[in-house]
Amino acid sequence: MSGEFDFYTVVPGEDQAETAEIQQFLSQCDLEMEGNIDLFVLAREQRRLIACAGLSTNIIKCVAIRPEYRGGAISLQLISEIVQLAAERGDFHLFLYTRPSGEAFFSGCGFYPLVEVPERIVLMESSPVAIQRYCQRLRQLRQPGAKIGCIVMNANPFTLGHRYLAEQAAAACDWLHVFVVSEDVSLFHYADRFRLVSQGLSGIGHLTLHHGSEYMISRATFPGYFLKEKGIVDHCHTAIDLLLFRQYFAPALGITHRFVGTEPFCQVTEKYNQDMKYWLQHAPSTAPAVAVVEVERCTQQGIPISASEVRRLLAVGALSQIKPLVPPSTLQLLVSDYATGTHG
Amino acid sequence: MKIIKQAIAGTLESSDLMVKVAPSDNDSLDLVISSEVIKQFGQQIRLVVLDTLAKLDVSAGSVIIEDKGALDCAIRARVQTAVLRGAGSDELNWEQLS
Amino acid sequence: MKLRRSMLFLPGANAAMLSTAFVYKPDSIMFDLEDAVSLREKDSARLLVFHALRHPVYREIETVVRINPLNTPFGLKDLEAVVRAGVDVVRLPKTDCAADVHELEAQVERIERACGREIGSTQLMAAIESASGVVNALAIATASKRLIGIALAGFDYCVDMQTERGDGSELFYARCAVLHAARAAGIDAFDVVFSDVNDEAGFLREVELIRRLGFNGKSLINPRQIELLHNAYAPSEEDVDYARRVIAAAEAAERSGLGVIALNGKMIDAPIVNQAQRTLQRALASGTRQ
Repeated sequence: MSGEFDFYTVVPGEDQAETAEIQQFLSQCDLEMEGNIDLFVLAREQRRLIACAGLSTNIIKCVAIRPEYRGGAISLQLISEIVQLAAERGDFHLFLYTRPSGEAFFSGCGFYPLVEVPERIVLMESSPVAIQRYCQRLRQLRQPGAKIGCIVMNANPFTLGHRYLAEQAAAACDWLHVFVVSEDVSLFHYADRFRLVSQGLSGIGHLTLHHGSEYMISRATFPGYFLKEKGIVDHCHTAIDLLLFRQYFAPALGITHRFVGTEPFCQVTEKYNQDMKYWLQHAPSTAPAVAVVEVERCTQQGIPISASEVRRLLAVGALSQIKPLVPPSTLQLLVSDYATGTHG
Repeated sequence: MKIIKQAIAGTLESSDLMVKVAPSDNDSLDLVISSEVIKQFGQQIRLVVLDTLAKLDVSAGSVIIEDKGALDCAIRARVQTAVLRGAGSDELNWEQLS
Repeated sequence: MKLRRSMLFLPGANAAMLSTAFVYKPDSIMFDLEDAVSLREKDSARLLVFHALRHPVYREIETVVRINPLNTPFGLKDLEAVVRAGVDVVRLPKTDCAADVHELEAQVERIERACGREIGSTQLMAAIESASGVVNALAIATASKRLIGIALAGFDYCVDMQTERGDGSELFYARCAVLHAARAAGIDAFDVVFSDVNDEAGFLREVELIRRLGFNGKSLINPRQIELLHNAYAPSEEDVDYARRVIAAAEAAERSGLGVIALNGKMIDAPIVNQAQRTLQRALASGTRQ
């Protein structure tokens, strides 16, 4: 009929020739084909590839349009298509990264800036009010005090090390807010992790436990965190996650101090801690600085307790060795739901 | 009608609008309009949207409008479509939609 | 006599087109809810068209809506929407037999009663898109008083015939059949869409062919084609001249009470007078052929 472009969806890797064509098209537009893309929306005029946009769950990536078509109707059609496609898959809240030069384009497509790493990258979301509403809900949970602490933990699973960190932080502050990373890609499901944290922290006063959000160490704001095993570390992503924390969530709750455990094992977490000191304390920002407090990990027989060690022991079925590292509530769940192997 | 799930309707193309609806978490109606011509037409868009929602008996929900210069008839159509999708309904009550 | 030389197709899901198409002046505007609309957008397009139909800008122009077939989940809802919204003509796709028209008519009447629209005010058009449809063309064309015309739809017809669009020979029989059925039934005949919007010469050749065959008009997918088509259908100066003289002779005969109309010593009967009226109507609409 009328309408000059054909839009359709492809799964990368399904058709080798087509995937290669997309890859080449992206590199012509100075972009790399990123990993984890679930679907591409392609626009063709007759057989010629004119534009593409990729979707990785709720993150839009690899948006490329031939230079001579930019600024035209196809840009809006392309983004409309991918937003509608994401909606069909149940994702209504979308994120994307763009260079600062691309911000204006996506603004015209119904995306709104969240944070910017100056001159490097901008994180945008598909709603004019989502983060504001989230902060509004956080503000309801403010507590009075001069020193308000915060811990963000994945707790995969919750160990005595986590308990120790929380105890130290709570003792040093008027109030402590603990967030559990909600992105559900870890060995232990979010529901279990959250429950173990809740059980594991019981008895510590002046503490609020919060569910995590898409804005806090999520695939959208810090994808590198979840690719730890591959040792992938991405400078800008830690900045994005930390700037969100400093500019939005810390002010909403009045957080003055962020507590982390020292990181002897994991390279990504260690880098995150170092970046945290920069972005929360020293980087120029209109938002007040948040002090970063690194607490020495507590040890068990001289070895710092870590969740990764617990997971390793679990994988080889060494439950008796796990016992001194975790509270009873965690051990119970490991035994009932996550144990493998037969040695005890 | 009751919005029970998230839904979208419309496109970002010129003379159209994209409407996103979601259930309300506080039983009230929350309308946000984003438009390049918000100064000239913001009020008008608001009236048309509220009127459309009222006729559908929608008193609670989050409605976000991304307007690209749509005429009233497109606004009504897209808002109605989003609400029907969000209500999981395909019952077309033509008096309510007129 | 309603002129229906040009019927402009608009995809029903396209808000921009629906908002602006009234500036073009085709003889009819057709909002498409069928092939131009993806499954995902059927509900959305239906409401867009519903509201567009009710907008004052479309009051002065004849509106047609191509609904989805009645045996789809969409067809009946489309019909409810557009009849209630005041559409002038409902176009039924894939009409294979008279029963298809009867079914449509029954539903249309039911809806007219339900919404208080004047019974019979919604007219119909049947699109023939298959071998069966072509073979049943006369039965289809005479199936209802509401029918204003039948149209041949090229793409689906060629698929059904196991061939493809080419130089026109693949449509030869279908065109003739549809045309004859329309004439026998006293309704309009419409030709297929010419989809290559950049091939102006090809378009004009096709228009000339179907005009000579006797088609009343053609479906268009691009506003640029409207003026080209209207000009091709415009009568020549000589035609207009002759038509004026025929009408003058008819009027003179009526005034003088003579039973017979004579021009240049020859008898002029009713069909010639009708043809003259059509010629003048076309001249009135877009002048004489350039």
